[in-house]
Amino acid sequence: MKKITTISVLALMAGIILVSCDNKRQPGKIYMPDMAYSRAYETYAERDSNVFTANPALRGSSKIFYNNTPVAGTIKRGELFPYTLTDDSVGYAKSASVPNPIASMTDAEMSEAGRLFNINCAICHGEKAQGNGPISTSGKIGGIANLTLDNYVKMADGTMFHSITYGKNLMGSYASQLDRKQRWMIVKYIRTLQPKAAAAVPATDNTQKATK
Amino acid sequence: MSRYKKFIDKSLVALLFFLTLSLNNQALAADGEALFKANCANCHKPDVDYTGPALKGWSKRVPSQEWVYKWVANPAQMIASDAYAKSLFEKWKPTVMTAFSNLKKEDIDAILKYVDDYTPPAPATAAAGGAAPESDNSLMFGILTLVLAVVAFILLQVNSNLRKLSDEKEGIHRGEPVPFYRNKTYLMAAVLVLFAFGGYKTISGAIGLGRMKNYQPVQPIYYSHKVHAGVNQISCLYCHGGAQDSKHANIPSVNVCMNCHKGIKEYKGDAIVREDGTQVDGTAEIKKLYSYAGWNPDTKSYNPDNNMDGVPDGAQPIPWVKIHNLPDHVYFNHSQHVKVGKQQCQTCHGNIQEMPEVYQFAELSMGWCINCHRESKVDFYNKESGEGNKFYSIYEKFHTDLKNHKMDSVTVEKIGGTECQKCHY
Repeated sequence: MKKITTISVLALMAGIILVSCDNKRQPGKIYMPDMAYSRAYETYAERDSNVFTANPALRGSSKIFYNNTPVAGTIKRGELFPYTLTDDSVGYAKSASVPNPIASMTDAEMSEAGRLFNINCAICHGEKAQGNGPISTSGKIGGIANLTLDNYVKMADGTMFHSITYGKNLMGSYASQLDRKQRWMIVKYIRTLQPKAAAAVPATDNTQKATK
Repeated sequence: MSRYKKFIDKSLVALLFFLTLSLNNQALAADGEALFKANCANCHKPDVDYTGPALKGWSKRVPSQEWVYKWVANPAQMIASDAYAKSLFEKWKPTVMTAFSNLKKEDIDAILKYVDDYTPPAPATAAAGGAAPESDNSLMFGILTLVLAVVAFILLQVNSNLRKLSDEKEGIHRGEPVPFYRNKTYLMAAVLVLFAFGGYKTISGAIGLGRMKNYQPVQPIYYSHKVHAGVNQISCLYCHGGAQDSKHANIPSVNVCMNCHKGIKEYKGDAIVREDGTQVDGTAEIKKLYSYAGWNPDTKSYNPDNNMDGVPDGAQPIPWVKIHNLPDHVYFNHSQHVKVGKQQCQTCHGNIQEMPEVYQFAELSMGWCINCHRESKVDFYNKESGEGNKFYSIYEKFHTDLKNHKMDSVTVEKIGGTECQKCHY
């Protein structure tokens, strides 16, 4: 009898202790820490500051220098070669002569480019690139370019790529969100949203009809 | 009669004439508004500074109306030649106004008239009263149970008292009744209840150990997903693009925040209220971002990098707290689920676009994973139409089974999604 009481009281207390750890601001306890936390370095895991340093000034000291950026001059397999023009007026002027390395795109590639455009660009420029995305129409950021205007139709592919890579005016650089190939693909996709250049539009013969 | 008719006709014509006149007037004013909205509103607001200066009260600032015509036609040339234009540029650089050579003098006059007459619309009164607090029934049921238990206990006591009385009347003598706290039946019942309750709590607590459902850490910046992904409709993949390409859905670096926040300096949306009732100062939170980014909103530029560490002085990464933690002995890959499996972010992360502060929505337990793998269908390859993921073209048995109608769809489990070594290796 007494034993049962003791056991049940103990069980109740254990239950209360287990449940009472329920603070949503704390991550909670785990059974086996050495199985839960990786010994090897995992993305976003905390690095041991006694072993690693992200400060270039301490490079070559007793600590290991590591700051997440790829080694300078390395290129990912299958990636396009680096874009070498600099982020200044000289580079901007020169960019017009850089050709788009992507000659043509398949339907699948075009819809992928459209998807990327809708994720990264349409939020400001609008799905039809008319400068009327949600951020623009709600008036949060002003001066968003309507890419279907004449001066953007005439803008060279290279200049457009340059602006996406380094940003222009209020627009930031998208080099960290889109790799080089994706940026060129988006340039190609923007061309499909733009009206054909004015010269290419055949003159309508309305006037002739009117005179007849 | 005919005389009257003539008079009425005449007055009607006159009325129509005046009506057209007044309509014309209105059309001119509306023109100014339409022209402003089509050409200027992207960078200017009538009454407050925006990307460019507020336009109201222009006549007190610019040298002459003639100056405005020249400026609108070619701002770059004016900056080079005119002193006031140069001072304007110094104030607002590096942004230069676009030339609007298509606007005629009358158009500009209409726009100027519109901005001078502009009065800001009265602010909409805040929606009264929040949503009614969600009532929780469990407390009521608990009280009801307690009341019923007390009633039952009293009735039992009454019953025993009555029996005692009737026994006395009939002359049957029974021993002194045992008080209820020593009554073995009561005690046994109480112990059983305690045992069941304690056992349940112990086991559910032990299962919950190591699971972090509802985990909602305090983040260094009060970043509201509701404002960004909900109100402003920014795609999840804009910031967390890694989800489609890699194992991790990356936490965006500060430059991604600055893509928009170079332009957005203040929070003007609906009030964000914390759970304890205090209000979040959105503008102050944006200022925190600026200090992490090393951005100076006054000069609209990043701080110089004098200490040569590759980032603007004072800039540092934002120490966001990771919410969804899987133990090291489980492998999980975002791109596999987002890109190949075409799962919505919300399936596992809940309605993120409605969360001011993000919490862990799913249990992230093995049972939770397995359940989804049993129910979710893969994008199986259809040999006839060529639709679906071509990877699955090698599953010969399933193709014949589907053809013979032995199965109607292929789930993740069928292609090995519940094998141990798929996730544990």
